[in-house]
Amino acid sequence: MRRRTVGILVCLLGVALAPAGEGTPESQARPVSDIVALIEAAPAGATVDVPPGLYRGSLRVRRPVVLLGHGQVTIDGGGQGNVVELLAPNITFQGFTVRGSGSGVDREPAGIRAETGPVIIAENRLEDVLFGIDLRTASNSVVRNNVVVGKDMDPGRRGDAICLWSSHECVVEGNRVRQARDMVFWYSENVDVRNNEVSDSRYGLHFMYSHNTTLRDNHVWGNSVGVYLMYSNAITLIENTMERNRGPSGYGIGIKECDDVEIRSNRIIANRVGVYVDNAPLSQGAFGRVHQNLIAYNEVGMLMAPSNHSQQTWNNGFIENEQQVATNGRGNLLANEFHVDGRGNYWSDYAGFDRAGDGRGDVAYVSQSLFEDLMAREPNLRLFMHSPAQQAIEFTARALPVMLPQPNFVDEHPLMTPPQVPGRTVSPGPTGRMGALCAGLLVAGALVMLAGTEPISRMQGARS
Amino acid sequence: MSSGAVQTAVPLPRPCSAARNVISFARREVRDAVSSRWFVLCTGAFAVLAVGVSFMSLAGSGSSGFAGFGRTTAGLLNMIMLIVPLMALAAGAGSIAGERERGTLLYLLAQPVSRLELLLGKYLGLGIALTGSLCIGFGLSAGVLAAKAGGADAAAMLMLVAFTCLLAWVMLSVGMVVSVVSRKVAVATGVGLFVWLALVFVSDLGLMAGAIVFKLRVQELFIVAMLNPLQAFKMGVIVQMNASLDVLGPAGMYASQTYGRTLPWMLVGVLLAWGVLSLAAAGVLFQRKKSI
Amino acid sequence: MIRAERVTMKFGRVAAVNGVSFEVAPGESVALWGSNGAGKTTLVRCLLGILRARGRIEVGGCDARRRGKALRSLVGYVPQELAFHDDTRLGSAMSFFAGIRRVPVSRARELLDQVELDGHERKRVRDLSGGMKQRLALAVALLADPPLIVLDEPTSNLDAAGRAAVMKSLVALKQRGKTILFASHRPDEVASLADRVLVLKRGRLIEDTRPSLLWPSEAGVLTLRLFVDAERESDAAGVLRGAGHLVNLNGHGLCVAVPGDRKAEPIEVLHRSDIRVRDFQVLADYQPDWSRS
Repeated sequence: MRRRTVGILVCLLGVALAPAGEGTPESQARPVSDIVALIEAAPAGATVDVPPGLYRGSLRVRRPVVLLGHGQVTIDGGGQGNVVELLAPNITFQGFTVRGSGSGVDREPAGIRAETGPVIIAENRLEDVLFGIDLRTASNSVVRNNVVVGKDMDPGRRGDAICLWSSHECVVEGNRVRQARDMVFWYSENVDVRNNEVSDSRYGLHFMYSHNTTLRDNHVWGNSVGVYLMYSNAITLIENTMERNRGPSGYGIGIKECDDVEIRSNRIIANRVGVYVDNAPLSQGAFGRVHQNLIAYNEVGMLMAPSNHSQQTWNNGFIENEQQVATNGRGNLLANEFHVDGRGNYWSDYAGFDRAGDGRGDVAYVSQSLFEDLMAREPNLRLFMHSPAQQAIEFTARALPVMLPQPNFVDEHPLMTPPQVPGRTVSPGPTGRMGALCAGLLVAGALVMLAGTEPISRMQGARS
Repeated sequence: MSSGAVQTAVPLPRPCSAARNVISFARREVRDAVSSRWFVLCTGAFAVLAVGVSFMSLAGSGSSGFAGFGRTTAGLLNMIMLIVPLMALAAGAGSIAGERERGTLLYLLAQPVSRLELLLGKYLGLGIALTGSLCIGFGLSAGVLAAKAGGADAAAMLMLVAFTCLLAWVMLSVGMVVSVVSRKVAVATGVGLFVWLALVFVSDLGLMAGAIVFKLRVQELFIVAMLNPLQAFKMGVIVQMNASLDVLGPAGMYASQTYGRTLPWMLVGVLLAWGVLSLAAAGVLFQRKKSI
Repeated sequence: MIRAERVTMKFGRVAAVNGVSFEVAPGESVALWGSNGAGKTTLVRCLLGILRARGRIEVGGCDARRRGKALRSLVGYVPQELAFHDDTRLGSAMSFFAGIRRVPVSRARELLDQVELDGHERKRVRDLSGGMKQRLALAVALLADPPLIVLDEPTSNLDAAGRAAVMKSLVALKQRGKTILFASHRPDEVASLADRVLVLKRGRLIEDTRPSLLWPSEAGVLTLRLFVDAERESDAAGVLRGAGHLVNLNGHGLCVAVPGDRKAEPIEVLHRSDIRVRDFQVLADYQPDWSRS
């Protein structure tokens, strides 16, 4: 009885959510076995055009076929287990709407699960699924232009939107992910991750023990953490944008114990921490490079563990971060390099000059702040940021150099102009509203002024 | 003066309602304030600072076109927390003490008005004058932002203006307490300056020292800090713009997670409590004051 | 009009007004007489309900403690010197008080005409002469045509002409039936305006009498300037005070207030004390500050 009620509700929901033009009432929903029958009938490698409509049940594809939904086929798993399982190599699954996976985390039910590769999963829309696209040992696969919207529940209970497990040589591109846990890569090497958008999730792009990967032109915003690299070596991030990732850790990019990571030409904006570096590079002889990036408007531009060493940071624009570079705990960052081959970084709070005119400041940029030092000692003091008391402390330290702490690091060759970083520009809001506010405020002020004119004329006017 | 027969039929004059008297005093106060050098000076100084901070904070942002809770707001915040309490405390401190020193207080109280009406009227008038002064400064600043940044968020700016006005009214109340008990403007201004120092610097620095020495827990630190109206103001602005206090580290995150949506109201509540209680205290002290 | 019962006002331990009781009938004109510090000003402030005195004060049936505002609406008050923001323009001040007194602006204009301040609306208060200020204060006091006018030494800062103008206005008001209570230390003003005199000394009411009994003379009060040996001037002042005279001893010499028909009396008193009077002078128009005596 109860199950039937739920079923009806799901159907009603299905009708309500069905894209316009599809218009399939519940009475016309067909069982998934109809699709299975089509697949069984087709020869290997054939293209199967699935007739438009709503199909209910879990679909298991066991033959190498090209399945096309043309955006007019919805498969609803009814909240039970995986919705689509790709169980043979060389399957293409394209143009479907997939929804209604189970929601128990223990069995990790997914919208589309591939157990072997290569497969192509493209242009699908996944809704109300716990895990989205889950590749298990499905190497050489392509995941392209899918949209994944997770279940509307507590972030801690959500599943991963796109998950690669031990799936090498894959391409993940053009996907849009929202309201999920992570887009995560486990033990997967040589993956090409490009042009994806991830928002409102936990970790936008998450790498665990996955080496030799390039991330290019991805846009991650509004997540708890933008990109988190853990125990993964030889990762290159180029021309990505990480914006407003402000969860409890809130890293635009977090790097933990990775070797040979190169971060170049990214836009890292308004995160809690722009780039977090913890023990990277880890091994002797490995490198860690952060260059040509725009690191702006973060609470902390770059946060590094004091034990970190050999990290190279140059040619970046550090613009108006509340703290440009901070140490995570007590200590300093002198074991890392903030200028390479005579080129340092642009610091928006640099107060030096460039007499030679070579684009580099003549005096070093020394990161040395009493308040930041105090905050490293007692993180709770951050509560007093943005207050005159903070300024008073800094002023005291400048006036009495005895009180200045040890320098955090020194950039001997600070740049006078920030590097140009290509990327999408965030469209500025309408000027009109600010203009209207300006006008409104000025009128209010003028009214008060007018109220100040003396009403003598009233007394004189009536006389004459 | 024309002399005439004894007039007994003249209806006895009746005093005005409290509200009308308060408005009369408020209008007079606005008029006096606006035409005073003090007001012009403060308005000018605030406008110059607001515009200057806006310009400077926008200087570095040309390439990105994005300003989160960046230096514009942070710079404005810092400036506001220094200047606005000073303006409001000075205005409040001078109010009653000034009338007393000039001897005008007695003359006003000899009219059919009550002390409370006088106090409220002056408060209202000074508050309006201050608000006007702030509006001009913010208006010019908003003009700079509109012209140079465009994308800066008008709603956030409006929120900043609203909070700043609230702060000004609150500090005005505190100033009036000082004024009511002071005989001379110089004394009142001195005490006001002391209060300003205490609220702006001493309490925060003391609390920081306390946090380090006594290892205060986040909740203790947050609660004690929040009781300072200036910190409440700052946190209020930040929480309205960021939807969270995470900018302020562990204590801020604790507050955001513990109080959630009630947090902004708590902070506004702290400010209102300071304003209302101070004004009430000023009223009671003024009523009880024997010497005029 | 006024009823005061055992009015006491203490500042700390000092009683500025101590157990003062009196009544003033409607239409009556009463002077408060006494030296500086006698408690005149404090008593006036108590009567207006500005200071909360112990005892009982009623004006026109309004209790000063409970209905101070209503009480003050029955009273027009003229201070010793008008204190109003110096930057305020006269017209602006007038319309402000018109608002407080709930009268139309036309009434304010009318009163400015009456006190001959019309045409000065744009002048600032600081630019007014002492006499103009007092006329302005009078105009403000009369805005609502209150039945009682209370004045606290209204002429003490004025020159002879200003004094005369204010006194003339007050006499006219008295004739119109206004009740008047005024503090003064000028015998001539008291004699010409008051029906009764309340004599205050150190906060106590020591006499409630008529001017004619205080200075029983139809001829008015004159100032007599006595020339004695310089080293005996202060002795002389002491002797005269002992005999009940008002004395002023300043740079201008020794001055004594005398009833017009007994000008020789001080000379006799001094003669009895072996103080020789070399010469004397009758100053008809000159009234020194008797309160300092």
